[in-house]
Amino acid sequence: MSDAATTTATQTNATDTVTSMQFHPQPQPGQARPWAFPAPERGQLPNGLTVLRCHRPGQQVVAVEVSLAAPLEAEPQGLEGVATIMARALSEGTDRHSAEEFAAELERCGATLDAYADHPGVRVSLEVPASRLTKALGLLADALRAPAFPEGEVERLVRNRLDEIPHELANPARRAAMTLSRELFPADSRMSRPRQGTEESVARVDAAAVRAFYAAHVRPATATAVVVGDLTGVDLDQALADTLGAWSGDTAAPRPVPTVTADDTGRVVIVDRPGAVQTQLLIGRVGADRHDQVWPAQTLGTYCLGGTLTSRLDRVLREEKGYTYGVRAFAQVLRSTPEGTGLSLLAISGSVATEVTGPALEDAWKVLRTLAADGLTDDERDVAVQNLVGIAPLKYETAASVAGTLADQVEQHLPDDFQAHLYRRLAETGTVEATAAAVAAFPTDRLVTVLVGDASVIAEPVKALGIGDVRVVSG
Amino acid sequence: MPMGHTATQQAGSGGLTATEHRLANGLRVVLSEDHLTPVAAVCLWYDVGSRHEVKGRTGLAHLFEHLMFQGSKQVPGNGHFELVQGAGGSLNGTTSFERTNYFETMPTHQVELALWLEADRMGSLLSALDEESMENQRDVVKNERRQRYDNVPYGTAFERLTAMVYPEGHPYHHTPIGSMADLDAASLEDARQFFRTYYAPNNAVLAVVGDIDPEQTLAWVEKYFGSIPAHDGKPTPRDGALPDTIGAQLREEVREEVPARALMAAYRLPHDGTREADAADLALTVLGGGESSRLHNRLVRRDRTAVAAGFGLLRLAGAPSLGWLDVKTSGGVEVPAIEAAVDEELARFAAEGPSPEEMERAQAQLEREWLDRLATVGGRADELCRYAVLFGDPQLALSAVGRVLDITADEVRAVAAARLRPDNRAVLVYEPIEAADNGESDEGAQPTQPTDVVRAAPAAPAADAANAATEDNDEGAGR
Repeated sequence: MSDAATTTATQTNATDTVTSMQFHPQPQPGQARPWAFPAPERGQLPNGLTVLRCHRPGQQVVAVEVSLAAPLEAEPQGLEGVATIMARALSEGTDRHSAEEFAAELERCGATLDAYADHPGVRVSLEVPASRLTKALGLLADALRAPAFPEGEVERLVRNRLDEIPHELANPARRAAMTLSRELFPADSRMSRPRQGTEESVARVDAAAVRAFYAAHVRPATATAVVVGDLTGVDLDQALADTLGAWSGDTAAPRPVPTVTADDTGRVVIVDRPGAVQTQLLIGRVGADRHDQVWPAQTLGTYCLGGTLTSRLDRVLREEKGYTYGVRAFAQVLRSTPEGTGLSLLAISGSVATEVTGPALEDAWKVLRTLAADGLTDDERDVAVQNLVGIAPLKYETAASVAGTLADQVEQHLPDDFQAHLYRRLAETGTVEATAAAVAAFPTDRLVTVLVGDASVIAEPVKALGIGDVRVVSG
Repeated sequence: MPMGHTATQQAGSGGLTATEHRLANGLRVVLSEDHLTPVAAVCLWYDVGSRHEVKGRTGLAHLFEHLMFQGSKQVPGNGHFELVQGAGGSLNGTTSFERTNYFETMPTHQVELALWLEADRMGSLLSALDEESMENQRDVVKNERRQRYDNVPYGTAFERLTAMVYPEGHPYHHTPIGSMADLDAASLEDARQFFRTYYAPNNAVLAVVGDIDPEQTLAWVEKYFGSIPAHDGKPTPRDGALPDTIGAQLREEVREEVPARALMAAYRLPHDGTREADAADLALTVLGGGESSRLHNRLVRRDRTAVAAGFGLLRLAGAPSLGWLDVKTSGGVEVPAIEAAVDEELARFAAEGPSPEEMERAQAQLEREWLDRLATVGGRADELCRYAVLFGDPQLALSAVGRVLDITADEVRAVAAARLRPDNRAVLVYEPIEAADNGESDEGAQPTQPTDVVRAAPAAPAADAANAATEDNDEGAGR
């Protein structure tokens, strides 16, 4: 590279630019148009199924989210993974269709149907163009009302699931998450074990186990369906009566939620990956869920710490040092209770080049210590509020995003207007509260650090940081 | 100045219309009104992508795209991100083979800010660009490459397949992320020259979609962009013409630490913008586009030889499109068994074509995917830009779904017979060198719902690997 040539070129171009383009001052915003998080209409079918509906003009793909009160901790000991297999098997044949016919009928509607099991329960998500909603609701109802759970299909799903496990173990981000759960929670807690089971537990699942889990935990009286989209010209009452209304079942008392403790003693676990070019970081502990009064302040503080590439962590780790493509801090609700005894995973996640793993962690801790010592600035807090509140109409443009949040609220035992009020509460939260919440969420001596990377390169520099004992496990 | 026309509403477009305009400096502008939600998208496509890069400078278009976020004359430092996010907007940029795009979705009352920001960097980036941001973003991009390609199993598969399907010297031979050596070699002067060559109003299309007043919006566009000088001198991109088929089966075996054997293959398919490309899309959907597809039914359901099996399509306008087969084997199954079954299914399909039921399903799936893209103002703006840049007519975006629905079963059979042949594919076989033997599994780490990497569908990686983005997905309010 020639310095002389570079300089000349810059000046030439700068002159051109300045002389020919007319610059204007930064424009001021216009008058904001009011927007509110949509209020769903809540009702109940005669069979006990709770229904939330929400008309969103223009959203031609309707989203239906069904939440089933079948939590992971309800899985029998040693059969972890049965909820996942059951969720997948719902679409593997019904009293009307074989597994292949069912898949074909769904796709004929232009629909997608996904089901997965998580700590609060099983979620079944349907998306379909509004013109074919009734037909797709019929298929969804069949899957929930009369799944066949054929032995051959369940056996295939089990084998398929066993085949997936090595792929998940090979993925650095997923491996880190799995390791962190095992570190944080006691061995007898369902939360310490993989959501979709281990090789050992999945291998024990069969059609009988799936049918038993379904019989014990799936019924309309404890389920909620959320329907969101452009419902113009759709007789939803009739459509629901003809489909999900035909699902029958008894009532059941709500299941008590076990309390969970977590060990957040500061320490480091390295999952050894010889030769890895990057280290996957996952630094976490548990904290407040949405029921806690601190949630808005924690949301603001976490955003200021690591919500985006202009937040504190990326300002240093990415934009100053170039150690990473991006590091994020977040709170993910694990399970909530009506009594407010639930919890979230609070974590910092990202990957950094292997050779700078020590310096990157050192900088991350420095960011946390500086936050605790000096607090957030008013400007930071203001920008965070403007983003988190202002972005709401963008975030909830699609039917699927609205339905997802409404179903999350149901699953977390929150009122239907929680999200709508959250925006007002965020706007009312001050800098001091946001700082306190962020510091309480990420105390520098109570963080469990999982590193998936090359131990021979990263172990010594990490030990030197003094962020806790360092243990290496084989990858 | 304004001299466009208004499109009539067309089948499947969901009532969308768009108007076209052109400034004196050559900037093409597409506007589309929709007042249902108080948001609007600003989307700017520059007609430059990795196909314009020269030997020894792969990855430059994408590295440059990162530099567009490092400040411009009136916007210091990270201001592009700070101002948009502070206004309650979201933004990003991505680079692919054929274009570079920058986009903001804003609350209605902040649209003018996004236009001002885009104009500022289009007209004055070089007054802010310096060695420090160059060195920093070079490191960030190298970490992007490590995170998304080098440090994940099968991460370099797309790069390897592309290199086989488009021969040495072809503009699509390398992918947008570029090589580490070339990223190291790029200089500040390279970046400056790149800007001077490609970043001009007459090499871009601007779409503004959503809750806008078209007259006011056009006045703002004229105010902020109108005085940016046009310039010519953009070299004609290297010719992407290739024979329709490869003419022989190419093959590469990779021995790596991967969790399972895999069979992947890439086929040369018709150029985007043709009926044949839409027919190919339907063929790949019937064969490998979902849980009722032929390959899924054969390999995953019946033979039980695969964990996942599917096809993806990467539509390209300046070179043959690329169809990507991805099969991960189950247990100890050997690749030849899978390959024989795939060949049998493809041969049968080429002979018989799709059944009426399969056509109906595939068309319904593609229609829904299209409705999904149009469900957001950002998605609509991106499609309008795409058709304007690659095919010269944004109105084609509004009729795209109608064209897919117009394809006949015989056209689908014909394209499969002509293209999905063993002598038109590059095969990539993965053979694990060390078996993972841990008894544990996944945990959903991210604040999204737990997803399943294996089922995450072969279609997604193809599309994803063809893009390099500025920022990883961020979360957002409430999560």
